[in-house]
Amino acid sequence: MEELKKAILDFAENSKKSKFYFKDMEKGVQEKFPDAKMREIKKAATALINEGVLIFFSTGSSTMYGLKGRGMTEDPE
Amino acid sequence: MGFESKREEKEIKYAETRIYTDAEVHNYTEEELKSFKVKHDIPDLDELEKGPWPSFVADAKREALHRSKLPKDKMLVAPDVVEDMLGQLQLSFDDGETHWKHGGIVGIMGYGGGVIGRYSDLADKYPSIAHFHTLRVNQPASKFYDTGFLRTICDLWEYRGSGMMNLHGSTGDMVLLGTVTDQLEPIFFELTHVMDQDLGGSGSNLRTPSACIGKARCEFSCYDTQALSYELTNHYQDELHRPAFPYKFKFKFDGCPNGCVASIARSDMSFIGTWRDDIRIDQEAVKAYIAGDFQPNGGAHAGRDWGGFDIEKEVIGLCPTRCMVMEDGILKINNPECTRCMHCINVMPRALRPGLDTGISILCGAKAPILEGAQMSTLIVPFMKAEPPYDNIKEFIEKVWEWWMEEGKNRERLGELIQRKSLPAFLEVLGLPPAPQMVKAPRSNPYIFWKEEDVPGGWDRDIKGYRERHKR
Repeated sequence: MEELKKAILDFAENSKKSKFYFKDMEKGVQEKFPDAKMREIKKAATALINEGVLIFFSTGSSTMYGLKGRGMTEDPE
Repeated sequence: MGFESKREEKEIKYAETRIYTDAEVHNYTEEELKSFKVKHDIPDLDELEKGPWPSFVADAKREALHRSKLPKDKMLVAPDVVEDMLGQLQLSFDDGETHWKHGGIVGIMGYGGGVIGRYSDLADKYPSIAHFHTLRVNQPASKFYDTGFLRTICDLWEYRGSGMMNLHGSTGDMVLLGTVTDQLEPIFFELTHVMDQDLGGSGSNLRTPSACIGKARCEFSCYDTQALSYELTNHYQDELHRPAFPYKFKFKFDGCPNGCVASIARSDMSFIGTWRDDIRIDQEAVKAYIAGDFQPNGGAHAGRDWGGFDIEKEVIGLCPTRCMVMEDGILKINNPECTRCMHCINVMPRALRPGLDTGISILCGAKAPILEGAQMSTLIVPFMKAEPPYDNIKEFIEKVWEWWMEEGKNRERLGELIQRKSLPAFLEVLGLPPAPQMVKAPRSNPYIFWKEEDVPGGWDRDIKGYRERHKR
C-alpha cells in the first residue's frame, strides 16, 4: 500500500496536468508496478484522499484526481 | 421472502427535527403573492408563468416571498438567493449564454460524488448566488418516504440551503439546489447522523440506483425491484462514493417490461422483470371483457364513448408478433413468440397475467447523446433469476465493469465501448452465446459474425482463389 501511495504521488507530482483521470493514474502506477491491480490502486488513492493529500475534482458528470494545493483552488476558474 | 433491513431502521420524528413553526412555514397569503415583485426585472421568466402548465418560475417566486418573510436568524444562506438566481437566469436569456460555472473541488471529505460545485460568474452583481452548489441525495427505493422525512429535509434545506429542490432528478435523486461551501459538511452531518440518509452519486461513479414501485404496489412486477436496488446500493457503496470508473454508470430496475423507470433508455445496465413460462390466462375473465363486464385498460381512456370492447381490434390485432388467436371462444397464446410487449396484459389485467417462473432480463448500454448519439440498451441476458443474495447478478455486473474499466476510454460509456469493440467482443468477455433476441432484425441484420471455432466442423476457405475470381 505504501509503495502504491508513493507511486501515485510520484505520478501526481510529475504529471504535466494538475488534474488527471483515474485511468491515467492507474497506467502511471502500473509503469512502476506492472502487477498492481486496479482495486489496490483505488484503495491507495482513497487513503491519500482521506489523508487530504489527493483531492477529487468533479465536473458533475466525470471526476478527476489532483494533488492538493497544486493548481486547483475551490473556484473552477 | 420479506424485506430485511441491513441496519436498524430509523423513524424521523418531525416534532423533534423541525426548525420552523407552523406560522413560519405558512408565512404569506395569496394576495401578497400577487403583488410580490422580485428585486430584478425578469420579463422573460414572467412569460414562462403564462399558459396551462405549472412553471418553476411560479414556484421560485413563492419561495422568494417565503424567504423574504422568514426570520433572518433562521437562514444560513442569503434570504434573497432565489431572487438572485432568477435575475441571473433572465440575464442568461438576454445574453444567450449561461453565467454558471460548474464543477470544482468542493465536496464532502472522502466522498467523490454527491456534490456538484456551482458558481456565478457575476458574483458582484448577484452576490447571493456566488456559491450555488448542488447536493444529490440518494432517494429511498421507489421514492417511498413519509411526511416526517419530507418536512425534515425541507426544513434542513431552507435553513442551510436556498430552499429550492428538485424532486426528483433524472437519475432519481432528491436534488437540493443552491448552498454555500461552508454549509456542505454540516448538511452532510444532518443528513447522515440525524436522517440516516446518504448522498447520491455524481461524477465517474456508480449513480444512485433507481427502481420502479415494484412489488410494493404493482401486480405486474416480476421481481422485487426495491430489494435488488437496496442490495446493490449497499453492496457497491465504494463504487457509489469513490470514483474510479471511466465515466458515469447507471443501474435502473423495472419490475416488468412496461418499464416505468425507462431503464431500457436511461441506464447503462437495465434490469427488467420478465417470465420464462406462459402468460397466465383466465378464460372466464376474457369472456367477461368481451361481454363488457370489465372495463379494458383498467378504465383508462374511458373519458368518451369508444364503442364496445373489440378483442380482435384492440388486443389480438395489435400483438407485434401475432402470437395470439381466438379459437372457439378460447384465447390462445403462442408463448415462445411473445416479445413481452405487455399490451395484452395491460388491456386485460384481470384475464392475463405474467407467468410464475419470473426473473429478469439484463440489457446494457443505454445513454443520452454526449459523445455518440442516444441509444437504447441491448439485450444481453435474456433471463436470469433475481433472488437474494443476488450473487448471479453481482457476478455479471463485475464482469462487465472489469471489461469496461480495462478497455473503456476516459469519458466513454459502456454503450459506446460496446459499439467501438463490437457486440461479439462484449459477449466473448461475458462468456455468453449470441442469441437472435440481441439483434433487432435477426433474419436480415448480419450483426453477429461467427468465428470458425464457433461453428461445429469449422470451414475451409481458399481466400487466394476467391481473390482470383473477385478483384478488389
